[in-house]
Amino acid sequence: MRFLPALLAFMATAWFWSFLPAISAGETRSWAWAWLPDQGVELALRIDGLSLLFALLITGIGTLIFLYTAAYFRNDDRLPRLLTLLMLFGISMLGLVLADDAISLFVFWEGTTVTSFLLVGFDHNRRYARASALQALIITGLGGLALLAGLIILGQFAGTYRLSEMVLMGDAIRASEIYIAATIFVLLGCFTKSAQFPFHFWLPGAMAAPTPVSAYLHSATMVKAGVYLLMRMSPALGGTEIWMWSLTICGAITMIVGSVWAMKQDDLKLMLAHTTLMGLGALVMLLGSGTKEAAKAAVLFLLVHALYKAALFLSVGILDKQAGSRMVDDLGGLRGAMPLSFAIAALAALSMAGFPPFIGFIGKEVIYESALHSAASPLLVTGSALAANIMMVACAGLVAIKPYFGERRAQKNPGDPVFGLWFGPAVLAALGLWFGLFPAALGHDLLEPALGAVTGKAAEVKLYLWHGVNLPFLLSLLTFAAGIGLFLVIGAVRRALQAARVPGAEDGYDLGLAGIDRLSAWVTRSLQGGRMTVYLKLSFAVFAGVIWMAILMSNTELSRPDFRVPLFQFGVVVLILVSTVVVTFTPSRLIAICALGGVGSGIAMLFVMYGAIDVAMTQLLVEILVVVFFAIALLQLPRTPISLGFRPFDMALSVALGLGVIVTLWAVLGTELNLYLTEYFEKYSAPKALGRNIVNVILVDFRALDTLGEVSVVLIAAIAAVAVMRAGREARK
Amino acid sequence: MIAQDISVVLPELVLAIYAMAALMWGVFMGQDKQSDFILHLTAGLLILVGFWIGFSGEGTQTAFGESFVNDGFARFSKVMILWGSAVMLLLSREYLIRNHLMKFEFPVLVTLATLGMMMMVSAGDLMALYMGLELQSLSLYVVAAFRRDSLRSTEAGLKYFVLGALSSGLLLYGASLVYGYAGTTLFSGIASVVDAEGISLGLLFGLVFLCTGMAFKVSAAPFHMWTPDVYEGSPTPVTLFFATAPKVAAAGMFARVLFDGFGNAVADWQQILIFLSVLSMFLGSIAAIGQSNIKRLMAYSSIAHMGFALMGLAAGTEQGVQALLIYLAIYVTMNVGVFAFILNMEHDGRPVTDINALGMYSTSEPARALALAVLMFSLAGIPPLVGFFGKFYVLKAAVDAGLVWFAVAGVIASVIGAFYYLRIIYLMYFGTASDVLNGRMPLLHYTMLMASALIMVVGIVNLLGIEGLAAQAAATLVN
Repeated sequence: MRFLPALLAFMATAWFWSFLPAISAGETRSWAWAWLPDQGVELALRIDGLSLLFALLITGIGTLIFLYTAAYFRNDDRLPRLLTLLMLFGISMLGLVLADDAISLFVFWEGTTVTSFLLVGFDHNRRYARASALQALIITGLGGLALLAGLIILGQFAGTYRLSEMVLMGDAIRASEIYIAATIFVLLGCFTKSAQFPFHFWLPGAMAAPTPVSAYLHSATMVKAGVYLLMRMSPALGGTEIWMWSLTICGAITMIVGSVWAMKQDDLKLMLAHTTLMGLGALVMLLGSGTKEAAKAAVLFLLVHALYKAALFLSVGILDKQAGSRMVDDLGGLRGAMPLSFAIAALAALSMAGFPPFIGFIGKEVIYESALHSAASPLLVTGSALAANIMMVACAGLVAIKPYFGERRAQKNPGDPVFGLWFGPAVLAALGLWFGLFPAALGHDLLEPALGAVTGKAAEVKLYLWHGVNLPFLLSLLTFAAGIGLFLVIGAVRRALQAARVPGAEDGYDLGLAGIDRLSAWVTRSLQGGRMTVYLKLSFAVFAGVIWMAILMSNTELSRPDFRVPLFQFGVVVLILVSTVVVTFTPSRLIAICALGGVGSGIAMLFVMYGAIDVAMTQLLVEILVVVFFAIALLQLPRTPISLGFRPFDMALSVALGLGVIVTLWAVLGTELNLYLTEYFEKYSAPKALGRNIVNVILVDFRALDTLGEVSVVLIAAIAAVAVMRAGREARK
Repeated sequence: MIAQDISVVLPELVLAIYAMAALMWGVFMGQDKQSDFILHLTAGLLILVGFWIGFSGEGTQTAFGESFVNDGFARFSKVMILWGSAVMLLLSREYLIRNHLMKFEFPVLVTLATLGMMMMVSAGDLMALYMGLELQSLSLYVVAAFRRDSLRSTEAGLKYFVLGALSSGLLLYGASLVYGYAGTTLFSGIASVVDAEGISLGLLFGLVFLCTGMAFKVSAAPFHMWTPDVYEGSPTPVTLFFATAPKVAAAGMFARVLFDGFGNAVADWQQILIFLSVLSMFLGSIAAIGQSNIKRLMAYSSIAHMGFALMGLAAGTEQGVQALLIYLAIYVTMNVGVFAFILNMEHDGRPVTDINALGMYSTSEPARALALAVLMFSLAGIPPLVGFFGKFYVLKAAVDAGLVWFAVAGVIASVIGAFYYLRIIYLMYFGTASDVLNGRMPLLHYTMLMASALIMVVGIVNLLGIEGLAAQAAATLVN
């Protein structure tokens, strides 16, 4: 059972391999199924050179890693869970590189985010693993959404979500106004996923995953997803200044930062994680250069890096398992006890350092070659590539020489591991040598079609082990010399680096998280304390704001008020005003309620003056009832006086709200009322209903059925009230 | 005429008569002995009526002088409302029995609330709308305070009542202004006035007041204040109820008023909706981070989700309404699953609401933990789960309507929002175990949880066909 995933992955590799002849002949294969037809979203898959290269890496390295995992966790009951997650992750990754529909791509993209979150946090008992998992999820998840935004903008513009059609529209996209926004969003997605500066800090933490997982995530998959998308989109978005400089600069910084940080690590696995930053930075920087040579270097280095990085991670896993530690200072002199492991580590490390005749050498030559002709800044690109490569040589020494030579040190009695553990890394390391010796077929069959997809046109890839003596070769020699020199003084360099404490982007991340927590606490404390008065105040405040917004935004015109009204009407106004003042200033609740009644009665009187006697009656009755009810309720309440402090916020709120309503009414009354119904009833109340009082006529004639309904409701309510009161009385007996 | 009118409102009529009959039956057959029976009967009836409406043919019929509209939009919303209510009733049984709340009034009140909601989404007239709204609200006030012996429950009911009454007042004030300046309460009449003369000042203020009142009902920020307290204080099945059917009804009512009444004045209400939407998304997402009570957390979650739903509405297009409907359907499905779980959060027989009790839940109950994790991922909108597609639809509608920055704000809010859903997953898989939940889960609840989670996974294949239905429904509202 535990070898089933490896078997499946192997079958997938074979299946993808079967496409190789057709794809290297320049063909593509595609499939599509409708998904959300209304939105033009479909599940479209397409194999071209680039997809095939990635698919082979994912399934091929996947096969070896699944095998290794089965051996590594042999007697662990968590193995099925780990393998399931790894498989899910691998499937998402495959979907990502095969997807031709932007939305499908995004879905798979987030699939890798989620599964890698679960994989990184696999050792959930360790606090570090949990924190790293969350950090990786937040950073890459955030970037994923930015990517979605970018893809939607592109899709909107292009009128299609097919990536293969989008990349054909490169010129139109670059010329359009959406270009900048789309590029920024897509780059945010790619940079977070591929851990480019300033989002690089999550990646070293992600090595908290079990070693086989790190090997998979850091070599061929997860972090390469961003690089894949950059490659995929470069015909559509690439070739501009913004693209070139953002990729070159971020890539170069990532490369240097990763290399320097790698040297200072104690933990070999952590060191490899940092060298992954170097690899990714180099890839991104090359893609920024914009030349065909650079794209070729990127495609080649992608393969080189995947091979040696996976092998080295796995060999560190072997050290951890067999020698009981993966700390630089805990290990030494193991080559006698673990000859096979040493051979594997040495082969892979030689490729990483770029010595001939390994594929790493060719990769480095091609990088130097293209760097010297970079469209961005040859000096910057070549210089940083040189610096990073020198440090890579030193790191290769730390991984492959330090544990195996010198004084013998180990935590337990070491020896070479079982077949399942050495087979995978051995194959990967051997491939690095094989491709180095016979690069031509690799270049033609695998890299050429991939390069064609990256540059958007057919391209030729000719790889040679021996380029002759030229500037790249001299640079290589310089790299070796300086690298070996650096390795000889590595102890001093490491001590110096470890002493330095540099603030990084990670501090910003921590501050951001803490800030969100504090903001959340503040929001809930201030807005949601559970006090009804606060809720009401806030509601009224917002409401006042909305009214004033509407007033100010609608160019409200106020008509001149007419003050020529009979004197006794002013008397009523005075009554209302006095009552209001009493309500505001009395400490007694009873008086306040009576004064409120005064306001209501005043309004009723205004109704009388304007001829609406029936409305006035209703108003007065309601007013009296309210006062009586309140008074009854007050009898039940404890008699505490109202505290009368000066509350400026409440006052301002009342004034704003009151004035708002006044201005609204004033302004609205100045405009023309729709008089259709008024005129209708005026016209027909006498002839049709034989009545002059319009309100009465409406109640008993035009809307008689409504009135009947109302009367019935009142009656039923009365009956119910009687029933309730009797029930209460019986209960008391 | 009357016969034709009645045939249009027949489903509502049946429910109304049933509610009254069930009330009488409960009273005369001696109080609560019949409760269990009535509860199941009601749930069955609601499901049946849902099927009846769902399969009752196409086209638009109106009744009572256009004050009641039965169109695709109404039918789609009603099916969601009816089934949401029915599922809530079925899920509530265990909780009600356990807490001695099994009273026959409960299903009756739910039926009346459901009836009110159906009228809200079918209203073609401000008066019909208000009638439906109040029928729903009054029933909900009572069920919120259904646990009379609990201080929190009564407090929840009271708060909900006071703020609800305030919002109803605003809504009525707005309606009277609209009536005054359009000369009619019919949506179609308002629309023709707006068409002919544009929006007058009186209508504009009326619209503003109407929107404010309805914002309370959908619990959109800044009128959301009642939501967390009511969610926390109400009996849990009622919280589930609040999170599902009434949300659909309120959003449906919002869409009705805006599109049927003011469909040609999109520019005049779009800004209000964008404001409500953005504020809700951010406030809900940010405030939820600090919560450890799962009911409060779900309250903030619902505020944020309503913000997203309103984003579809704010787009002001047919596509936006379709997005709104899809979003709501997905949201209701997810909430049913989550609350089926929350209803059974217990430690040694005591109900637990603290999310820290979920620590390492994945080891004690792997299947349930996985289902809940799927639902949380889906609520967070993480693809490929169905919850993502809900967000995708509204975001796309906003972008298509030219509101790119609005969509970007939505994306940022959803990132912040993802935080607290993920924290629950994090606790379940990577947390520390303490006071582990050990409640028994009835089969029905278990099924609902699993089914809901399964839909989130299986639904990614063409969303179970809901897309087309929602598109038809949206087409009837926007034209």
